[in-house]
Amino acid sequence: MNFILQLFTWWNGQTLGTRFFTWRKGERVGEDGFGNVYYRERKGRRRWVIYNGLAEPSTVPAEWHGWLHYTVDVLPSEQDYTAHDWQKPHRPNMTGTTAAYRPEGSVLTAAERPAATGDYEAWRP
Amino acid sequence: MPKLIVDGTEVEVEDGITLLQACEEAGAEIPRFCYHDRLSIAGNCRMCLVEVKGAPKPQASCALSVNDLRPGPNGEPPEVLTGSAQVKKAREGVMEFLLINHPLDCPICDQGGECDLQDQAMAYGIDKNRYAENKRAVEDKYIGPLVKTIMTRCIHCTRCVRFTTEVAGIHELGAIGRGEDMEITTYLEKSMSSELQGNVIDLCPVGALTSRPYAFSARPWELRKTESIDVMDALGSATRIDSRGREVMRVMPRLNEDVNEEWISDKARFIWDGLRSQRLDRPYVRENGALREASWAEAFEVIAERVKASDPSRMAAIAGDLSAVEDMFALKDLMDALGVKSIDCRQDGSALGEAGGRAGYLFNAGLAGVEDADAILLVGTNPRLEAAVLNARIRKTWLRTRLPIGVIGEQADLTYDYDYLGAGAETLSEVASGKHKFAQVLKRAERPMIIVGQGALNRGDGRAVLAQVVSAAQASGAIGENWNGFCVLHDAAARVGGLDICFLPRLEGGRNVGEILQGASAGDIDVVYLLGADEIDMKKFGSAFVIYQGSHGDAGAHRADVILPGAAFSEKSGTYVNTEGRVQLARRAVFPPGDAREDWAILRALSAVLGHTLPYNTLEQLRAALREECPHLAATDEKPDATTSELGDLAGAPKRARAAGFTSPVDDYYLTNAITRASKVMAECSALRTAGQSEEGTGTDG
Repeated sequence: MNFILQLFTWWNGQTLGTRFFTWRKGERVGEDGFGNVYYRERKGRRRWVIYNGLAEPSTVPAEWHGWLHYTVDVLPSEQDYTAHDWQKPHRPNMTGTTAAYRPEGSVLTAAERPAATGDYEAWRP
Repeated sequence: MPKLIVDGTEVEVEDGITLLQACEEAGAEIPRFCYHDRLSIAGNCRMCLVEVKGAPKPQASCALSVNDLRPGPNGEPPEVLTGSAQVKKAREGVMEFLLINHPLDCPICDQGGECDLQDQAMAYGIDKNRYAENKRAVEDKYIGPLVKTIMTRCIHCTRCVRFTTEVAGIHELGAIGRGEDMEITTYLEKSMSSELQGNVIDLCPVGALTSRPYAFSARPWELRKTESIDVMDALGSATRIDSRGREVMRVMPRLNEDVNEEWISDKARFIWDGLRSQRLDRPYVRENGALREASWAEAFEVIAERVKASDPSRMAAIAGDLSAVEDMFALKDLMDALGVKSIDCRQDGSALGEAGGRAGYLFNAGLAGVEDADAILLVGTNPRLEAAVLNARIRKTWLRTRLPIGVIGEQADLTYDYDYLGAGAETLSEVASGKHKFAQVLKRAERPMIIVGQGALNRGDGRAVLAQVVSAAQASGAIGENWNGFCVLHDAAARVGGLDICFLPRLEGGRNVGEILQGASAGDIDVVYLLGADEIDMKKFGSAFVIYQGSHGDAGAHRADVILPGAAFSEKSGTYVNTEGRVQLARRAVFPPGDAREDWAILRALSAVLGHTLPYNTLEQLRAALREECPHLAATDEKPDATTSELGDLAGAPKRARAAGFTSPVDDYYLTNAITRASKVMAECSALRTAGQSEEGTGTDG
């Protein structure tokens, strides 16, 4: 099943080509909390990630994101990385679901719309 | 009468007009930017180029007189082509040049949708741009709180400069630099001081001068346009109220040659933000010294109780400056039904309307009549503040004919030269008796005009001053068969309407405003009904029960014991009579806020509670009753010719007047009624003008 998925789709973890490339050149360097596995080329500078399940790039945590994009060369596992307190936990994209983001004033929210026109300032004694 | 052939059709046109006007008469449309009917000719935009047969180059039609055209070789009329290939190419070339430096910011420009350049670029321009160079950028200038400048958009038509110099009469706006580097600015970026400066917004063919309060708030195509009448002064200028939803977004002028030509004053144009603030939107009743919200029924009950406890002789009604004729008529009918005799529409305490017939309180020569006058005497009035558009017309006449103008009253800057005769009634009596040398000027004039303002009439001796003015008019021959130069300039939009329906103290036992106030402080008056009346000293009401019906929380609402929320002028269909007696309809643009109702309907509902139900259920029925009683109010949009036979009665009154000088009733142009006092824009203008005056006093402003 997994083999067929990897043969025909690109969004389930990895493709067959990636699997072959990883087997030939890849060196596993670590894994993040979501189960995504990170690799680098043994005799080169390529870095890549094989997702755990659906290929969802937003699940790559900030520390791995930096390494993956060649911003830093030190692996998160080799430095004492601690998240800032303002860093929010990952939240998948909710577009298309009931939990989708609706801006203030959207007709799709139940909340009262902010007044836009026809306002007047009433006199109060 | 020169003849010419425009695009193949032969026309005969008036002497001395320009080729552009001749082409318009022949039905050909000529694009233009700098040319404007009411301004001098500049000829600097070159958009009006036409082909004249025989001329080597295209000609600027706005600056070419029809008399200067040469006939053809065999004496045939000169031929003009407005749609030829040469003209098309010339227009495209001019448009291309204009657009070299014009920014492409139409999507964020307030003029978008009503922009001459936009329209004409679509109609006469080409579809591509051959210039890759950087566009010129110009710094924005500060020219006041009303007009916003985005000077990069300016195409140097100089309409604004010509307007301020010629029509408004202030030499404050000008151009510096030349060629591409020309910039329109005020001297040292001081704000303009004219009461007509808002008109440069309409004149500007591009978005260089736009309305600052209206900036970025609406697009012209989303506005609902309602034709209305301005009520900020007594001229009744024709306006158009642009509204979106239930909000008035802006006020624009309409064309009315007989009243305002195409200008309106700044107060008329920028008042609209006052229509949104300080609004009375629910009835209030005073309980234990504090006002509390109430329902209509409650408020009416409280009034009915007090009215029943009182006596008609101890009640009074005063109508304010912005009331429509219908409202005052309904109030008058209600008061008549109750038997109340003390009613008055002259808040300022003038003595008009008591004698002399209708001609005794009208601007008899008509506003357009100013242009026929050949000598003008201004008595106790500063038309620049009281009727800015009329002042522009006087200036226009003065520029054309240099007619002698005399002023008795304040010595103010009126934007034209005048002879200052004196401060008050003494000088006036000298003129009336013919001793003063200006009396000779008036006598020599064929159509002399005497404009008397409320500053001379709203004093205790107003009746005597009026008598002197009438006798001066009679002595100088101003009142005749074909010409009546006796002109009363009102400062309130409602006044003439109120006088027309006789909203005046009844003959036996009726008190006027001053006596009502006296009576209230002495305890002789129990109940006072204020219909939008805010310009009276509220402290003098003493312990009287004050009912205030109006649209804005101002002096009257603060004093009131019961507040009935009414509609502002933009929220009801109402009749207003301007100072020359012209009956005009202001139409409803938006609805009143909250629980507020149209004023006549409030009075109709109240009358049922008081047990004297008024005999009309709709506005049409009310108007029918009104026109039955005052037939002349049925003739709308016409200047009446009031009979002068009764004017003589006015002159018979005692002529001894106090020596004190006349002062204009308008001391702050920007703050004259409840709506202006609620407007932030007006407050800013007023503060700026006051600051400017004190600054001048210190002598440190250059």
